[in-house]
Amino acid sequence: MKTISIDHLPRVEGNGGVFATIDGHVITEVKLVINEGPRLIERLTVGKTPEEDVSIAPRICAICSVSHKNAALRAMENALGVKVQPKITLLRELAHMGEFIESHSLHVYYLALPDYVGFPNAIAMASKFPFEVKIALEMKQFGNAIMKNLNGRMIHGENMVIGGFGSFPTREDLVWIKNRAIQFMPFVFRTVELFCGLDYPTVPESDTLYACCEPGNGQYGFWGEEIILSTGEKVARDDYKSLTNEFLVSHSYCKRSHYKGNPYSVGALARVNVLGERLQGESAKMYKKYFSPRWKKNPLFHNAAQALEILYCFEKVPELVDEILAIPENPPVVPYTTKTGKGTGLVEAPRGLLIHHYEVKDGLVSDVDIITPTAQNAEDIERYCYLAAQKLLDEGKEDAIRDRMDLVVRAFDPCISCSVHMAEVKRAPSDDWKKKLAELQPAGPAFIGIGKEGRSDDRAGLDLAAGMKEAGMENVYLETEIEEDHSLEGLAGRPLIFLDIVNMGEPAGKIAMLPLQHVFWNAVLSHRLLPAVSNRLTYDQIKNAYILGIQPESIEEGGRLSNSVRAAVEKILEEITN
Amino acid sequence: MPKDKLKIGIYELTGCAGDALLIVDCEEELVNIFTAASIEAFLMAKSDNRHGELDVALVEGSVSTEKEKEELLDIRKRARVVVAIGGCACVGGPQAAFLDKKEWEKNLKKVYGNIEFSHSRPLQSKPIDAYIKVDCYLPGCPIGKAQFLSTFARMVNGNPPELFRFPVCVECKWHENDCLLNKDILCLGPLTLAGCGSVCPNFNVPCFGCWGPTEEANRTSEYYLLREKGFDTEVIKNRMANYSGTRITEFFEQFRKEKR
Amino acid sequence: MRILKLQKKDLFPLLKVISREAELWAPTAKGDKFAYGRVLDFSRIAMDAVRTIIPPKKIMVPSLFNMFNFTEKGYQEDLSHVTDRILFGIHPCDIHGLLILDKLFSQAYLDPYYLEPRKKTLILGLSCLPDAYCFCKSTHTDIIEEGYDLFFTDLESYFLVWIGSSRGDDLIRLAPDFFDDKLTEKDIQTYTKWQEKRDNAFKTTVNFTRMPDLMELNYKAPFWEEVGAACLACGSCSMVCPTCNCYNVVDKLFLGNKPGKRLRHWDSCTLPEYSEVAGGENFREHKSQRLKLWYTHKLQAYVSKYGKPSCVGCGRCLVTCPVQIHVKSVADALEGHPVEAFWKKFAQEVSK
Repeated sequence: MKTISIDHLPRVEGNGGVFATIDGHVITEVKLVINEGPRLIERLTVGKTPEEDVSIAPRICAICSVSHKNAALRAMENALGVKVQPKITLLRELAHMGEFIESHSLHVYYLALPDYVGFPNAIAMASKFPFEVKIALEMKQFGNAIMKNLNGRMIHGENMVIGGFGSFPTREDLVWIKNRAIQFMPFVFRTVELFCGLDYPTVPESDTLYACCEPGNGQYGFWGEEIILSTGEKVARDDYKSLTNEFLVSHSYCKRSHYKGNPYSVGALARVNVLGERLQGESAKMYKKYFSPRWKKNPLFHNAAQALEILYCFEKVPELVDEILAIPENPPVVPYTTKTGKGTGLVEAPRGLLIHHYEVKDGLVSDVDIITPTAQNAEDIERYCYLAAQKLLDEGKEDAIRDRMDLVVRAFDPCISCSVHMAEVKRAPSDDWKKKLAELQPAGPAFIGIGKEGRSDDRAGLDLAAGMKEAGMENVYLETEIEEDHSLEGLAGRPLIFLDIVNMGEPAGKIAMLPLQHVFWNAVLSHRLLPAVSNRLTYDQIKNAYILGIQPESIEEGGRLSNSVRAAVEKILEEITN
Repeated sequence: MPKDKLKIGIYELTGCAGDALLIVDCEEELVNIFTAASIEAFLMAKSDNRHGELDVALVEGSVSTEKEKEELLDIRKRARVVVAIGGCACVGGPQAAFLDKKEWEKNLKKVYGNIEFSHSRPLQSKPIDAYIKVDCYLPGCPIGKAQFLSTFARMVNGNPPELFRFPVCVECKWHENDCLLNKDILCLGPLTLAGCGSVCPNFNVPCFGCWGPTEEANRTSEYYLLREKGFDTEVIKNRMANYSGTRITEFFEQFRKEKR
Repeated sequence: MRILKLQKKDLFPLLKVISREAELWAPTAKGDKFAYGRVLDFSRIAMDAVRTIIPPKKIMVPSLFNMFNFTEKGYQEDLSHVTDRILFGIHPCDIHGLLILDKLFSQAYLDPYYLEPRKKTLILGLSCLPDAYCFCKSTHTDIIEEGYDLFFTDLESYFLVWIGSSRGDDLIRLAPDFFDDKLTEKDIQTYTKWQEKRDNAFKTTVNFTRMPDLMELNYKAPFWEEVGAACLACGSCSMVCPTCNCYNVVDKLFLGNKPGKRLRHWDSCTLPEYSEVAGGENFREHKSQRLKLWYTHKLQAYVSKYGKPSCVGCGRCLVTCPVQIHVKSVADALEGHPVEAFWKKFAQEVSK
C-alpha cells in the first residue's frame, strides 16, 4: 500500500493536506486533513456584546475578513432589528467587491497559475510572465485599497459597524476608486481570456450540486436572503440548516456539510453555474463566449469562474460608486435597543456561501453558528480528489496523482484557516485491512454479510457472516436479516462493516477495506448493495461505514466458491475471531 | 551587510493566516523580500519548501494541536532566531482567551462533541512562548505592513527590530483624534500596544485591543474607570480578554485575589 | 505698535489676499472639537474654537517625520515639512507655548527641524473667551505682548488688529484699504468692556507662585503614589501639552537598496521606556516617579531657569487625561486642597 500525501498544501491560505492511499488498483482512502487546530471561535463569542462579536468573528479568516464582517453584520442586524440606509448597503457592497478583486486575483494568478505554467511560485514565475505577475499585483493592491478605504485596514478592519460606518470615505476617494477600476478594464479582459482559455485537464469530471446566495431580482450578486441550488430549489435564510447539515469527521477540526446525503460545491464556479445567465454587460458576453457544459462538472473551472467574476466586479465598482455619490448625506450609525433576538446573515465569500447565525439574549450573544465555504466544499474536495486519483490509477498514471490532487484542492481556493494544508499519496502496506479493522474494533463495529448463494464467489460475504456468528460474535447480520427488520437504526453510533466481494481489478482473493462512500462515488465499484442500504442509512452512518471486500474470481450463476476467495474468507475469519 | 543571505522560514500554526497573508499583501515589496533573503519555507506563497537550518523563523498562529507543538519544537531546533508574528503567536489570540482548562474542554465538547480526532490531539491554544524561547515579538491582528517590512529590513541588515512599546493612545494623539474614552465609549487604547497607527480611532471606532497588551497595561485603573462610566463588569472583562490571550489570565487571578 | 480696525466682512477677503504666497492654517472643526488644518475654504475656519485637540507645535514639528535619508555613504537632510505658512486663529496661551518652545529648541544645540518652519510661519493671533477649563490668567499667558505678527481682537462687529512685527506690517500693506487707523473713544470703551468681561469669565485658577516650593515640600507626599496607580501611562498629557517637546528617533530601513530614514516622533516622559537605558535598567520604573518628573518640569524647573512655569494654562491636560491627572488636580493636591478627580476616587476605591 502506498500513500500519496501533500502534507502541507502549499499556496493556499492556511494549513491543510490531502492524503490518498493506494492499495493495488484501488484508492482505499482519501482524506482532506486540516492541521489547523480548533479555535472554537463559535464559543469564544458567546457571552460577548454584539459589537465584540462582529470584531472577533471575522478573525476566523484573514482573506475573507470583509465577507465575515458583512455576514456578521447582516446576521446581527437581523437579530437586533437594525435597518440600515441604502447608502450603507452600497458602501458595504463596494468593500465586498474589494475583497473579491483582491482574493480572486491573488488566487488565479499567484496561487493557481504557477501550476499551469510549471513554476513553484509566482515570484519564480515572474521571470517568464512579468506582465501577468505585475497586473495581478496591481489588481490585488487595488482590491486592498478599496477595503482599506472603506473598512480601515486591508485585513480585519473595524470601520464597518452594526448600524453603519464609523466614518465615511471622501468623495475624492470614491472617485479615485471608480476611475482606477475603469483604467484596469483592458487587463481584466486579458485575465478572463487567460483563465477561461486555459487547457483544463478532463480528470476529474463528475456532476455535483451547486449552491449560492440568491441575490434576488434576477441579479448576479454576492448576498441575498435565500440560498439557490443548481436544481432550482430555494432555501430560505433561516432554514439554512436544511442545506448545510453539519457533521464531523475524525480527521479534521473543520466541520463538513452535505445536502440530502450528497456533497455539494460552493464558490465562484457554483455562482457562475447557477447565476451565470444573469450576468450583464461585458461579463455576459464573456460568459457566453467561454461557458461550456464542462463547467458544470469540472472543479478546475473554479479558476475560470473566478476570472469571470473579476470582470463582474470591475464592471460593478464604477456603478456602485455612482450610486453612492448620488446620496450625499452620510447616515449616522443606527442605534438599537433590542436586547434579545436571533438572526442569520447570508453572503458569498470569494470561496463560496458563508453563513453566520446569532442569538442574542439580554444584550449578550448566547448562541453562534458559523458555516464557512471550505467546510461545505470539504466533502466535494475529497470526492473529486478520489475520482481524480482513481481515474489516474486506472489509466496507469500513478505518478500524476499527487499533482492532480493538488490542482483540485487548490482550484477550490480553500481557505484553510476557516477550516482547512495539501496532497499525499501513500501505498498501503500489504494486509492494510487488518490495521483498519483493528482501528475500528474499539468502537464496536457491526458486520453485515452481503451476497447471494449459488453465484460462485458472490456468497463470500454470507459465508463470512455465518463464520463470525458461529464463533459467537455479536452484532453480525445477514443481508436478509437487515431487510426484514429495522435493526440498522439500532446500530447508530457503531461503524458498519459490510462484508462483500468487490471488483477492484486485483488478483482474486485480494482483501481491502474501503470507505463505503467510495462505492457511492465510483460507478466501477458500485454494487447492488447500494439500493439496499443507502436509503436506510443516515449520512453520519454512511460516513462511518466501510466495505471489507474480496476480489472475486467469478460470479457466474451456479458456480462454487473459488479457492482463492475461500482462502481470503478464512484469513479474515482468523483475524476477526482472534 | 552579511555576505550570505539570511535563511528565513515563515510558518503558520493555528490562526486566521492573516499575518502570512499580510506578507503576501506586501505586493511590490514581495520581490524584495524574496531577493533580500533566502525564503526557505513559506507555504502560502510557494511549493518548493525546504526543511533545514534557518537563521530566522517567523511563526504565526497559536499552538492548538499536538502536531503543531512538535512542529514548533522542530522549528526552534533549526532556527537561530524565532520571531512570533501576530497576536496568536505572541499572546495566543482570541482562541486562547478561555480562562481555564475546564472551560476550554467544555467548549471543545460543545463544538465537536465526543469525537476522537485521528490526525492530531487538540490542545488548549497557547502562544508559542508557552513551548519555546521566543527572541522577538511582532504584535498585531494582523501585523502591520510598515512594521513588518522595517523589522524584516532590519533583520536582513543584522539589526535588532525596533518596535513601539507605548499604547495606541500615543499614535491616536499623533493623529489628533478626540479621546473616545472621554466620550464614555469603551476604548482599549490605553492598554493596547501601538503600531497599528491607531487605525480604529482614526475611523471613529474604539480600539478593540487587537495588538495585545502593553507591558505596563494598567487594567485595574481602566477597569474602575469603565465601571464608573457605567459599563458592566462582565462586558469590561470580556473586552479586555478578547485579544489579550493568556496574558490576561494572570491579571484576572491577581484581580480575584485583590478583591478578596 | 499700531492698532487698526478691520470690519468683520473684510476678514475673508483679507485672508485671501495675504494667503496667496503661503499656506493658511487655522482651527477647523473635528467632530465636536477642533484641530489646526490647512484651509482653502475660509468658511471652514472655526472662529469660536476655544482650544484645538493638539496645540500648534504640530505645525512646527510634526508628530512623526523624516529627519534625513541615509545610505552607507552619507545622509541627506529632509526638511520637506518646512514651508511658508500663515497660522491664523492662534490664541495667546498657544503663542506663549511657542515662545517657550523657541527657548527650548535653541538652547545648546539649535534644532533646525523646529526653528526653520518656525521662522517661515507668520503668527496671526485671535482673541478668545475662556471656558471652564482655561486658566491662562493664572499663568499670566492670557495676554500677549510679543510673538505675533498680527493679533485680532474680536469685538462683535469688527476686529481691532495689533501689528506685532515688521512682517505683520508687510501683510497690512498688501491690503491697506481694508483697514481703518482711526480709533474712536467708543472703540476704546468697547475694548475695555470686553477685557473686563473676559477677565471675569475664568472659572479655574491655580496659584503658580507657590508651586516651586510646594513641589519641593511634597516630594515624598503619598498622593504621588495615588496618581501613579491610576495613571494609564497613555502619554496623552505630553502629546497635547503646548510645551512638551521630547522626541525619540527610530532608524527605518528598507529593502531593495533604498536609503534608510531616520524618523523622529513625539515622546513622553510618562512612558516606561523613556527612562530605560542600555541593559534594561530603568531610572523611573514607576509611574509615580515619571509623573513627578513631568510636574517638576511644568511647575518647578522651568520657573527656576526662566522665572515662569512652563505651563500656559491652555486647559488641554484637564480635558484630555481620562483619569484626570492634570495641572489643576495635582496643584490642588500639592496645596492640600480637596481633589475632585478620578485618580483620587480610584485610590479610595482600591484601598477599600
